[in-house]
Amino acid sequence: MALARLLTFLGREQHSEEILRRLTPPARPARVVAVTGSAGVGKSTLIGKMLEVIRGQGESVAVLACDPQSPLSGGALLGDRFRMPTNPQDAGVLIRSLSTPGGHGAITESLGAMIRLLEAFPFDVVLIETVGAGQGDTTVRDLADVLVLLVQPETGDDLQWEKAGVLEVADVVVIHKADLPGADRVEAQVRSMLTLSQRAPAIVRVSARATEGLATLWQTIKQCPLRRLAAEPTQGLLKLAQQTLQTWFTQAQRTQSAALQAILERWERGELSASETGAAVCRFLVESSHPRS
Amino acid sequence: MTGAPPVRIVLAKVGLDGHDRGIKVVARALRDAGMEVIYAGLWQTPEAVVRTIADEDADWLGLSLLSGAHMTLVPRVLQLLREAGLAHVGVLVGGIIPEADIPRLVEMGVARVFGPGTPLDEIVHFLREHTGVADG
Repeated sequence: MALARLLTFLGREQHSEEILRRLTPPARPARVVAVTGSAGVGKSTLIGKMLEVIRGQGESVAVLACDPQSPLSGGALLGDRFRMPTNPQDAGVLIRSLSTPGGHGAITESLGAMIRLLEAFPFDVVLIETVGAGQGDTTVRDLADVLVLLVQPETGDDLQWEKAGVLEVADVVVIHKADLPGADRVEAQVRSMLTLSQRAPAIVRVSARATEGLATLWQTIKQCPLRRLAAEPTQGLLKLAQQTLQTWFTQAQRTQSAALQAILERWERGELSASETGAAVCRFLVESSHPRS
Repeated sequence: MTGAPPVRIVLAKVGLDGHDRGIKVVARALRDAGMEVIYAGLWQTPEAVVRTIADEDADWLGLSLLSGAHMTLVPRVLQLLREAGLAHVGVLVGGIIPEADIPRLVEMGVARVFGPGTPLDEIVHFLREHTGVADG
């Protein structure tokens, strides 16, 4: 079956388990790079230019471009690929636009599954473009090897950088639109912010318009360790446990809302602390659900 | 599965025609009707449009032409779609199309031609009514 149709199935959570079970593990893992930053900072344009660099080095690359879904109609205008001109004959590049519901993640729910599919296909590189949120979208970091944050001149005063958020978790910070006035100032702000923190992400100046810094950026990204490999091997179990709890909880909300309400009331009366309440919910879900094993 | 999946449509302008006001209005109307609109934009080649349809696994393609080149470009897109095994994708044409050309385009395989002044609801209803049916 065509890859594009498989992505559709995963996006709609149809036959997902079956598709993922049938994938052969890739000979070598893909490099998964997430690109994030506020709306208008140049994520799509930069990815479009990076595609040329990556293809120029002979690596195949897939892009998963997330754009927001309308909270009112559920529809979406997916306009990222418009800024990523590619050769239509080139089978080594694939761009897929994904409609992304609102929330804190700035990415599509089924993104993890899609990455596994593209990796097995196999693509050497998977680029993820997040919805232009920029401050809270740290969820994507768990799925990616390298998180690239784009900032641009006139982003705000230094207080913006003191706020917690994506700057804390970025692996590479791109000073984008570096041909514009104000690039020096924003770079100085980012550098001074980062000197006070424990982490030391690379900082690269890039102008997609002037096609400057693109090769350096890709080189820098390639030097970053593949975080997904380095992660604690048992970490994946937590994800599975969370998903299972989520499923049980949704069922319990439908069928046993009174019991959940009772736990909530004990918490509200102060009989249980926050962590005791959490533990009580977990115990209730485990006891009331009937897993197969 | 939760309800019917949203209609997925690629909107594009092929050839050297720089008028994109109309296609943007249609894009917004379809978005507001709950559809997923992949906006491919200006100056696309027929090859690029067909590749976009393939990668995006879209149900529909909407082409806007105001340049007069529709009798050259539309058949080319239709032919490339067939060659790519994408004959199930419904093709709509909008823009400035002379009355006399409309039956010829429909004969070639265009599902419908929407001219200037078409109420946006009419396009929405057409897509809703015919999505899935075209998949056969």
